[in-house]
Amino acid sequence: MEIWRNDLNYRQGKIDSGVWAGVVITIAIAAGFCAVLFFDTTGQKGSGLSEEYVYDISQYTKIDPAMILYRQAGPTIAAGLKSTKAIAVRGEIYIAGDKEIIVVDGAGKAKRKITLDAEPTCITLKEDGTIVVGMGDALVVINPEGQERTRWAVEEANARLTSVALSPEIIFAADAVNGLIYEYDWAGKLIRTIGQKSDGKGKNGFVIPSPYFDIAMAPDGLLRVVDPGRHLIVAYTINGDREWSWGTATPAIEGFSGCCNPVNFAILPDGSFVTIEKGLVRVKVYDAEGKFIGVVAGAEQLEWTQQQQVCNTPEQCQSKGFDVAVDNDGRIYVLDTVKNVVRIFEKK
Amino acid sequence: MDEKKNQYSRRDILRHGVWGACAAGVAGTGAILASKSRGQKYVWQIDPYKCTACGNCATFCVLQESAVKCVHAYAMCGYCDLCTGYYRPEPKELNTAAENQLCPRGAIKRTYVEDPYFEYTIDETKCNGCGKCVMGCTSFGNGSLFLQIRHDRCVGCNECAIAIACPENAIVRVPAEEPYLLKDRR
Ligand code: SF4
Ligand code: SF4
Ligand code: SF4
Repeated sequence: MEIWRNDLNYRQGKIDSGVWAGVVITIAIAAGFCAVLFFDTTGQKGSGLSEEYVYDISQYTKIDPAMILYRQAGPTIAAGLKSTKAIAVRGEIYIAGDKEIIVVDGAGKAKRKITLDAEPTCITLKEDGTIVVGMGDALVVINPEGQERTRWAVEEANARLTSVALSPEIIFAADAVNGLIYEYDWAGKLIRTIGQKSDGKGKNGFVIPSPYFDIAMAPDGLLRVVDPGRHLIVAYTINGDREWSWGTATPAIEGFSGCCNPVNFAILPDGSFVTIEKGLVRVKVYDAEGKFIGVVAGAEQLEWTQQQQVCNTPEQCQSKGFDVAVDNDGRIYVLDTVKNVVRIFEKK
Repeated sequence: MDEKKNQYSRRDILRHGVWGACAAGVAGTGAILASKSRGQKYVWQIDPYKCTACGNCATFCVLQESAVKCVHAYAMCGYCDLCTGYYRPEPKELNTAAENQLCPRGAIKRTYVEDPYFEYTIDETKCNGCGKCVMGCTSFGNGSLFLQIRHDRCVGCNECAIAIACPENAIVRVPAEEPYLLKDRR
C-alpha cells in the first residue's frame, strides 16, 4: 500500500526535487539576464535623477570666441614641482612651490633654483631683482643672487600670507586667515595694518571664505585689494584709506562668479587688470576703471574640465585658484596650480 | 585689534563647537553601531576625496530613501553670504525664497550668524543624497559640503549597491568603530 501511495503520488504529478532545482536555476539565470538587459545595476546609465537634480553650469563655461582677445604664446611650461603656489615675472619666470623657487626663461628652460626652508605661499619681485617671498606667517627677503637677506614673522596668530606687493618704501603682505594687510618697511618694522573692522576704513573688514586674498600695487600709486567674498577689487591709499571699488557678483562673463572671486589678479603696465576666477576657471581683462574688456583664456584654453574637481587630498582640493603675473610687454603668465604648468598669453 | 581677535574667537568657537557637536553625534552613532554589530568589523563609507557627487548615491541604495546624506564640515565652511551650495548659479536675490535655492528638496537651512556670515545646516529628513549642493560647493567654494553614508539608516548590505554603481570607486570599507570619513582642515 505504501508503495502504491508513493507510486501514485509520483504518478499524480509530484515533481522530482532535481527538476525543481533546474527550474529555479533557469528562472534565476533568466531573471539575472533580464536585470543585466533592462536594469542598470552598475550606474552605467546614470543616476536616473530628474533634471532638477542636475548641477549644470555649462552655459557659463561657454565663451563667445569673439571675446577671446589673447592666444597662447609658445608651449605650456612644466614647472617641475609637485605643488605650485605662486608666480612672478621680471625678465624670467619665477615659480614658487614645494620648498623652492624655480627660475625659467620664456621658453621654459631652467635657469636656476632657490631652495627655501618652508613652503612658499606667495612671491613678488622688486625692480632690481630682489625677491620677497611669503612662507606661511613669515616674510623673507632674498637678494637677486638667491641669498636670504632678512626675514620676520607676522605677529598676528595663525597668519597665512597669500600675497605680497611692493612700493619703493613699503612691503605690503596680505593675510587670508586674519583678513588683514600689513605694511612693513624693508627692515621688517610694522608701519600699519589695513582691514580691521573697527578702523572704519575697511568697510566691515574683508570677506575671505577661501584661502585666496590678493593685493597688487597699481601704476596710479594706489594699492588694489581683492575683497573676494564681496566680489570686489578695492583701491586703498598706502595710508590705509579706502577709495573706491568695482566688481559684480554674477556667473555672466562680465562679472565674478561663485562665492568668492577673483582669487588672484595682476595689473598690466597700462593700469588694466587681469583677473583669475576659480570654479568657472577664466582669465579676463578689465580696464583701469573696472570695465570688462575681454577674455584672455577660458576653461578650454586652460585645458580645464569639471572632471578635474576630483582631488585626492585636501591640498589638491584647495589648489584650484590659479595665479597670474604680467610682464612689461603686456604678456600674461598663468600658473595652473593643479597641473603645475605655466601658460603664456599674448594679444592676438 | 582686540575686537578683531574676539570676533574670530567667537567664530572659531561657533565653527568648532558645531563641528564638535556634529563629530560627537557621528561618534555616538559609531559607538552604537559598533555595539550593535559585535563581530562586524567593517562598514561601507564614501571617501569624500574621490566622490564626484554623480547622483548615483540617491538612487542606487537599496533603501527607498537613500542612506546617503549631505553632511557639513563647518570648520571648512566660509559661511558665505553667496553660498554656491545653497544658491542656484544666478539667484534673483540672496534670500531664502525657494526660487533662489539650489537644493530641489529645500533640505538646506540658512541662518544668519553675523554680518556678512551665514550658517548652512542639512535637514537629513529631506536630503536624498543627490549631491547637487556638493557640486555647487566644491565647484566654487571650499568643499565643506560632502556626502556620507549615515549609519543610523544604512542596513549594512553585504555588497553595498551603491559601491557597484559608483563610477569613482569612492565607496570603501572602513572600521565600524570609525564609520565616517570626515573632511576637515588637515
Ligand atoms: S541638494 Fe541633494 S544632497 Fe544637497 S541637501 Fe539637497 S537633497 Fe541633500
Ligand atoms: S550598504 Fe546598503 S543600505 Fe547601506 S548605503 Fe549601501 S546600499 Fe544603502
Ligand atoms: S556613486 Fe560614488 S561618485 Fe557618485 S555620489 Fe555616490 S560616492 Fe559619489
